[in-house]
Amino acid sequence: MDPKFTEVSQIFQLFKAAFVRKDFDTCIKLLSQLKVMLTEFKSLPPLFEEMPNAIQERTLARDIYEHAVFLSVKIEDQDALERDFFQLKPYYTDTYGLQPSSQEHPILGLNLLRLLVQNRIAEFHTELELLPSSALENPCIKHAIELEQSFMEGAYNRVLSARQTVPHEIYVYFMDLLAKTVRDEIAGCSEKAYDSLSINDARQMLLFSSDLDLVKYIEEEHPEWEIRKGFVFFQRAKESAPCKEIPSLQLINQTLSYARELERIV
Amino acid sequence: MGVRSVISEIRTPKIPRPNRRAPQSKGFSNLAIIVSQPKKVIDTLAFSLFKIKSYLNHSSLSIPDFRKNDSRCPSTFQNLKEIAALIEVGSYVRELRRIVRAIRWTIQLRRKLKASVLSAFLNYVLVPGSELHSCLYSYLPKEDEQDMELDTATSATQAPAKHSLPELEIYCCWLVLIFLIDQKRYSEAKACSSASIARLKNLNRRTVDILASRLYFYYSLSYELTGDLAEIRGNLLALHRTATLRHDELGQETLLNLLLRNYLHYNLYDQAEKLRSKAPRFEAHSNQQFCRYLFYLGKIRTIQLEYTDAKESLLQAARKAPDAALGFGVICNKWAVIVRLLLGEIPERTIFMQKGMEKALRPYFELTNAVRIGDLELFKTVADKFSNTFSTDRTDNLIVRLRHNVIRTGLRNISISYSRISLADVAKKLRLDSPNPVADAESIVAKAIRDGAIDATLDHANGWMVSKETGDIYSTNEPQVAFNSRIAFCLNMHNEAVRALRFPPNSHKEKEIAEKRRERQQQEQELAKHIAEDDDDEF
Repeated sequence: MDPKFTEVSQIFQLFKAAFVRKDFDTCIKLLSQLKVMLTEFKSLPPLFEEMPNAIQERTLARDIYEHAVFLSVKIEDQDALERDFFQLKPYYTDTYGLQPSSQEHPILGLNLLRLLVQNRIAEFHTELELLPSSALENPCIKHAIELEQSFMEGAYNRVLSARQTVPHEIYVYFMDLLAKTVRDEIAGCSEKAYDSLSINDARQMLLFSSDLDLVKYIEEEHPEWEIRKGFVFFQRAKESAPCKEIPSLQLINQTLSYARELERIV
Repeated sequence: MGVRSVISEIRTPKIPRPNRRAPQSKGFSNLAIIVSQPKKVIDTLAFSLFKIKSYLNHSSLSIPDFRKNDSRCPSTFQNLKEIAALIEVGSYVRELRRIVRAIRWTIQLRRKLKASVLSAFLNYVLVPGSELHSCLYSYLPKEDEQDMELDTATSATQAPAKHSLPELEIYCCWLVLIFLIDQKRYSEAKACSSASIARLKNLNRRTVDILASRLYFYYSLSYELTGDLAEIRGNLLALHRTATLRHDELGQETLLNLLLRNYLHYNLYDQAEKLRSKAPRFEAHSNQQFCRYLFYLGKIRTIQLEYTDAKESLLQAARKAPDAALGFGVICNKWAVIVRLLLGEIPERTIFMQKGMEKALRPYFELTNAVRIGDLELFKTVADKFSNTFSTDRTDNLIVRLRHNVIRTGLRNISISYSRISLADVAKKLRLDSPNPVADAESIVAKAIRDGAIDATLDHANGWMVSKETGDIYSTNEPQVAFNSRIAFCLNMHNEAVRALRFPPNSHKEKEIAEKRRERQQQEQELAKHIAEDDDDEF
């Protein structure tokens, strides 16, 4: 195993150098090479055999996958991120003698953030359950949890200000995505909550830098809003007609089902 | 006693004999009210109940009565011998209900098991030289020599000339296992259960299935008590596969529940859900297993944020659970309370005042109070005060989610009480502790409006919130919808009850002779008596 191990380590060094240089194409190529070579090692999941230098192999493999995760964030490929994270996960859960990695918590936080941005809140919470309570104190993970809370409550300005306080610079990409989601949410809420807003206020709330951006956004996303006399009017013309229609179909269905069930009672 | 005894009383050959798996839920008595009875029938019922009572007082039932403790009552060893005989008969005629009865009698004897009795029983039932016998015998301590002599004297007359039935062997394994667990010798119980499971793999008889399912449960329990649950996951999965191949539905149910429990123990909700969604589903054979399944399902759904489904499952589990299962009821109620809080409804006070559960539910009661008032500070104090309880119950993550509900409730109270209120005041009332409370309050209110929690509009320029008037609710569809949900529930309950009536196989073929009828009547009375004393079955 030793020559293979040294070979893998060398290629990994090349990979790291290319990463620092921001030469992402080389990185991707080297990464695929590394992954193929890693399949030769038997001490890694899912086999977990006990080889003589198992611990070094596993540490090396874990490092490789961690860098793969960072790479996928840099090239902004969310699917690759998901795949690499799943491959990395067994190294965190079934440790078998590995030293805890320094990157573990940032990466876990990154995954939580990714789920939040993709609006997969159920999976977010499932992942959260798997974390031991000691991990919840970690700043990276705490950051993600507080974000989710603010998002649920609707305190969007807190979400946006949290962008300034990222615990790890790798999070910046997701914060940008989150900002976009937040903007859509704010727009939706404002539509229902306000009758009208002045242009200035609207611009501030939706975080645009200029009126032109605001107008463009409205035209693209919300054509039903009107801009008149320096005010944005949210269309409220869907006032319900004074006499509501009786939901006759539903009532008929319900009554028929009652009749049917009652007939069944002997 | 309710409608169950009613059914067992109406004794014409046409009406099927009820199985004790009729749902024993409180809703059943509601059903009696709904399905209204004419007065004549009620009179007949009252008379019949009176007849039963008098019969019971005078008859000498053929079953051994384990509740009496006086000297003329047969010893534990005698009872065990009778149970063994019953199992033998049951396995020869392949009637599963006899074996179920044997199990029930054993549970009643559980407290009285002693090492001496067990060793004597093993000598009686199993061939003394066999491997299984020596294996099980080694687990029993060799104490109380005199007792053993006494019992061996009585049993020496009947030489065990038979080869051991597989059912009896598994029964002995199970007996020794529960003895060891009751004595808290968990590591020995672990070894014993692994040996039994290995023995079980070679057997493929339906009559063994019932005993096997009990064995699986205690196998998992012994590992859980020693903290090694993860080890047996592979075994449980393999056993589940085998049970499915053999169409052993009770075994499938039991093993599925054990697997879910295994995953949930380690918080692996994802995997638990995947297993549960792919596992084959069928009518529940055992009420207790069904309750457990509902509870695990409710837990999974809660974590996945599907609160409505979770609430339904958890409440059903709490309702169907037997009254004797207090711990189970407590934990079901705890989760049900939290899910209801997360859904935005406040559970009634009576839930927390249920008999025997008051102390355990106290933290949740205070939590409900905090949510009801809508006060964030109070909520935080309560959450900190009882954080230990919450972490042992594994509900602490859910409590964190409740913060959002506290704010919503507070907002709702404010919106109802004020027709117009400034956002600064809203922030102050909600006690939002943040650097920029007014802006926070504004966005929170906007989101609440969007979600439909409150009915109001915001005025950004003046910085206030204007509440809309609540219209007349009876002119809308709301009452009708509420009625519909209740009606659907009652009708569902009725259908389930009808479906739960079970017919014993071949009943239409047998002709009833007087003697058989008498025996059947006796059994029905015994059934009624057992149901009336509640399920003591500690499965």
